Amino acid sequence: MSQTDAKNVRVSKMQLSKDSIHQKKILNPETEKGHVISEDFSVFYGNTEAIVKANLSMPAKKVTAIIGPSGCGKSTVLRAINRMNDLIPGCYAKGKLIFDDEDIYSQYTDVVLLRKRIGMVFQKPNPFPKSIFDNIAFGPRLCGIRRKSDLQEVFEKSCRQAALWDEVKDRLEDNALGLSGGQQQRLCLARALAVDPEILLMDEPTSALDPRATSKIEDLIRELRGTYTIIIVTHNMQQAARVSDYTAFFYEGVLIEFAPTSELFTNPREKKTEEYITGRFG
Amino acid sequence: MYRPGRMLRPVHSSATFLDGNGKVAVSQTTLNAGPTPGRSAKRSIYISEGTSRWRRFVSFSIEGFLFLVTSLSLIAVFFIILFIAIDAIPFFQLEGFTEFFTSIRWYPSGSPPEFGALAIIFGSGMVTFLAAMIAVPLALLSAVSLSDILPFSVRQFAKPVIEIIAAIPSVAYGFFALVVFAPILQTSGGHLLGILVWLFGAPLALIVSFVVGDMLADRIFGDNVTQVQRTAILLLLMGIFSVGLYFLYAPISAIKISSGTNALNVSIILGIMALPTIVSVSEDALQAVGRELREGSYALGATRAETITKVVIPAARSGIIAAIILGIMRAIGETMVVWMASGNASQIPSPWYNVLEPVRTLTATIAGDMGEADHVTGSSRYHVLFAMALFLLLISFFSNLISEWAVMRSKKKWGV
Amino acid sequence: MKAHTRKILDKSFTGMGFMSVILLTLSLVIVLGPIFVRGIQAFLFFDTVEYRRMQLDLFDRGDPEEVKAELDEVWAERRFIYDTIAAFEEQVENEEIENSWEYPEKIDSLNDSLKALFGPRPDEPEPVLPRDRYGETRWDRAQQTFKLVMYKEQWDYSDPSAMGSKVLVPRIDSFRGTTVEQIFPYMEENLEKLMLPEFTFYWQFLTDKSHDIHFFGGIGAEVLGTFYLVIGTMLFAIPIGVIAAIYLAEFAKEGKIVSLLRTAISTLAGVPSIVFGLFGLAFFINTMEVSQSKSVLAGSLTLTLLVLPTIIRAAEEAILAVPKAYKEASLSLGASKLYTILKVILPAAMPGILTGIVISMGRAAGETAPIIFTAAVSVGQPLGLFETLNQPTMALPWNIYNLVTEHEAVDQIRHVQFGMVFTLVLLVVVLNFAAIVLRARISKKLRG
Ligand SMILES: Nc1ncnc2c1ncn2[C@@H]1O[C@H](COP(=O)(O)OP(=O)(O)OP(=O)(O)O)[C@@H](O)[C@H]1O
Ligand SMILES: [Mg+2]
Repeated sequence: MSQTDAKNVRVSKMQLSKDSIHQKKILNPETEKGHVISEDFSVFYGNTEAIVKANLSMPAKKVTAIIGPSGCGKSTVLRAINRMNDLIPGCYAKGKLIFDDEDIYSQYTDVVLLRKRIGMVFQKPNPFPKSIFDNIAFGPRLCGIRRKSDLQEVFEKSCRQAALWDEVKDRLEDNALGLSGGQQQRLCLARALAVDPEILLMDEPTSALDPRATSKIEDLIRELRGTYTIIIVTHNMQQAARVSDYTAFFYEGVLIEFAPTSELFTNPREKKTEEYITGRFG
Repeated sequence: MYRPGRMLRPVHSSATFLDGNGKVAVSQTTLNAGPTPGRSAKRSIYISEGTSRWRRFVSFSIEGFLFLVTSLSLIAVFFIILFIAIDAIPFFQLEGFTEFFTSIRWYPSGSPPEFGALAIIFGSGMVTFLAAMIAVPLALLSAVSLSDILPFSVRQFAKPVIEIIAAIPSVAYGFFALVVFAPILQTSGGHLLGILVWLFGAPLALIVSFVVGDMLADRIFGDNVTQVQRTAILLLLMGIFSVGLYFLYAPISAIKISSGTNALNVSIILGIMALPTIVSVSEDALQAVGRELREGSYALGATRAETITKVVIPAARSGIIAAIILGIMRAIGETMVVWMASGNASQIPSPWYNVLEPVRTLTATIAGDMGEADHVTGSSRYHVLFAMALFLLLISFFSNLISEWAVMRSKKKWGV
Repeated sequence: MKAHTRKILDKSFTGMGFMSVILLTLSLVIVLGPIFVRGIQAFLFFDTVEYRRMQLDLFDRGDPEEVKAELDEVWAERRFIYDTIAAFEEQVENEEIENSWEYPEKIDSLNDSLKALFGPRPDEPEPVLPRDRYGETRWDRAQQTFKLVMYKEQWDYSDPSAMGSKVLVPRIDSFRGTTVEQIFPYMEENLEKLMLPEFTFYWQFLTDKSHDIHFFGGIGAEVLGTFYLVIGTMLFAIPIGVIAAIYLAEFAKEGKIVSLLRTAISTLAGVPSIVFGLFGLAFFINTMEVSQSKSVLAGSLTLTLLVLPTIIRAAEEAILAVPKAYKEASLSLGASKLYTILKVILPAAMPGILTGIVISMGRAAGETAPIIFTAAVSVGQPLGLFETLNQPTMALPWNIYNLVTEHEAVDQIRHVQFGMVFTLVLLVVVLNFAAIVLRARISKKLRG
């Protein structure tokens, strides 16, 4: 971010809508509002441009799927939203990425505040090697909640949201690594929910799970939709079709098409998209 | 209800959460986490310029503090070299270089005192060289077997053995050398040497007779050699070797060792002490040579021995060199064993390769003479010990650089 | 080469591999074997009545009544020997036997050897030094000393070409045809009654302080000193080492300065231990003057430099081995970097860090050269906690050296020397086993 941007860091909505005609056409301005909006947003790993000037607007409280062949930059986009890419040396971003009217890549952005509002579920379940309770209490404790009763309250709420409560209510102090893969992934979801985020990012959350655990997660996504904005990366086109409202198709770092899911899968506008969803490559 | 977040303090009103049955009554509105107008103003991801500056200052200070603590190692190395040099230089100013490096007369408390350290440097070199001769072959064989030959269960057993060898304090080795080993050497050293010759000679002879016998059989009897013919030649060769070894035993066992505290004693012990370093570092180097290279060699029909000697070891060469250097450094720098069991005679043995005579090393001289020299701080007698320490330090410093460079090179080569 | 030959070569290569590992193990067994076997005998041995008397006098241990009864019992047995000799002496003095002039010397020699075995007679004045007050306290030593009662050591110079050699001449031959002759078979038959050997487990060897420079008592002061040095070293080395490891693993950006730091750490690891000792003397004591002269503090600081590389490397490796997923999970929940390190990474890396710490505790306990000029003394009292700041201490490794090379009666206190080495080695081996077990548990955990 250059110094001049610092003065007017709040991006005016007028300016936005003028610039992103593309989204305007796709989202219904009456009922839908972009929660994360990218404008000529690029991500670089050193000299290679992994995401090339993407323009899209992911609607609030809807499920947006990101699909594309391996290495096309799906994870990169997702991890740009909560700035997990900061961990990678030599990785930087250009352009604008607006979250709730504020620029994620502004120099005044505090990644801690940002990440508290944008939760993430990873490809492989990654619970901490601690008790089930401590895993979920990790976030609330971070927010300064210390009282046991409060923590228990959050614990129960998050577990119920993640459909985990019945399975763990009798074994709060067991090591989380003793859970099954599917349970671990739902634990990670509950852990993310316990911080009370607005957006949930999911990077291929079911690719390490068996079909039954996968369908459970998909059910959850459908349930949480309407409450949270969910952005999910998936390799599985059926999954994208099943759970998402909108789908973005990336190819070699370029956003090829962004459309309501039903439209993209039944009537793709771009030839590349059609080739991909009909399984000609990828 | 509470909302975790920087601005929002938890409000303890669980009543909204739990209804009478203890079930969660989650209303859509309370869970609604979307960007409601009233809330987005409160939950900003921005921080003010002041806070941002403060944050950066704090993280800079933390990182700076961590860096400072880490750099204590660097400061320590710098100070070690500096302080040893500060006390070493006066010696060379007072006495010059020539005597120290060329004379073998070491009489620091005589009048006039004499500071010829050549014999002592020679002693250090001698025991180190001998220790390396003992340790290197054994350690390399062990490293190769650990990385390529032995089954997993034996490996699991051998690793702790090596770790314990490395962990035993040097004073315990010194104690063993002085109290257990030296008397045995003195009373029955010749026989011990004879047994050692057998111990190493017999398996070697066995292997050589197998291989040479096999080749001879092919050479003599051509392609259709029978098992009987092979065995006959094998037995013949083994007979010759046994007779040779038998006659070798007599002259060796007749050797009389006048003092058990001598160069051989400490070299053997130092060799054992240097083993773990060489084994573990070179094993790492061998393991770093990828699977592909080995499999490529096997695919060409090479046996395991050929793969190891012709492919794996050359590929791991620089790592192995680094291992040997580190092992040698361990032997040069060792104090207690040589102090206790080398005999501490400042002399060049006669003839110079006679390992059965007592010698004296740099480390032992520093340890032994400082007790007396401490009272005469500032005299040549005090400073000469620092000169020796500086000499040791420089050797270890440069060998370390060389070995690090070697390790780096092998790492770069194999990308690990 | 024929395929057959190549196969044989390959087999023999494998055989050599096995042999090398066997040799490694053998050398460990050969070194540790004598230390363990003879070291245990400092704790488990047959004592004698003299031992029980000594324990009662010096350590106030045992039942006075019982010891008194036992003493009366043995002195009743010993009386016969002394009475016979006394009677014979009288005969010699009165020149009642032939060649009486040659006997006084022989009797003196006999009496000296008896004194070494039984201690002074109850009617003699009590000697000043504890070592002279008691006979042999250990049954194994008593048997050796008894040999010198039965046989006299003489130098044999009959072969002029060789150096003189020691020979043992039966003492009984010197007293042939006299009344004294009968005490030798008597003693041989009744040695147990004369000494009353009894099996004992002297675990207090670890905690007792020594009397009369290790003639009696245990190694409590040395153990305590080593304990102080190890704790002191860890007090400095753990925080510095772990912080450095955190910096190198989590903060440092690879570059010139960091590679310089790494080189410094490996250089530090290669510095000969005696050089650390000289540096400690020149820097901590002579320049910084952390203490007037040698002290536990100065020794700990010196040892800290020695173990620092070990701790840093182990801790860094452990931190780097923590799965990246933990870190990502923590950060994605809105934890700061520092919080993530303290609450997620360090706990997960703890077993690995502990391994490094435990191994360096072993090194700090066993190193001798760095403490010679900075902390160790040969004789002294056990230190109080605050005396460690300015007082030198006894320590196991240094006192092992000292007892085998500089003690006035090296041969008589072998059991103490072996006991000390055994204690030190056992300590180090146990620490290392703990490290091995820890590591096995880590790798099991990482595997799943
Ligand atoms: N740490 C990194 N450093 C350099 N380049 C990277 C890094 N991570 C990813 N890339 C590159 O960026 C591009 C996009 O990677 P990304 O991980 O986003 O792909 P993806 O679509 O998530 O693939 P997959 O489906 O395999 O997860 C790839 O070409 C990859 O090589
Ligand atoms: Mg990906």
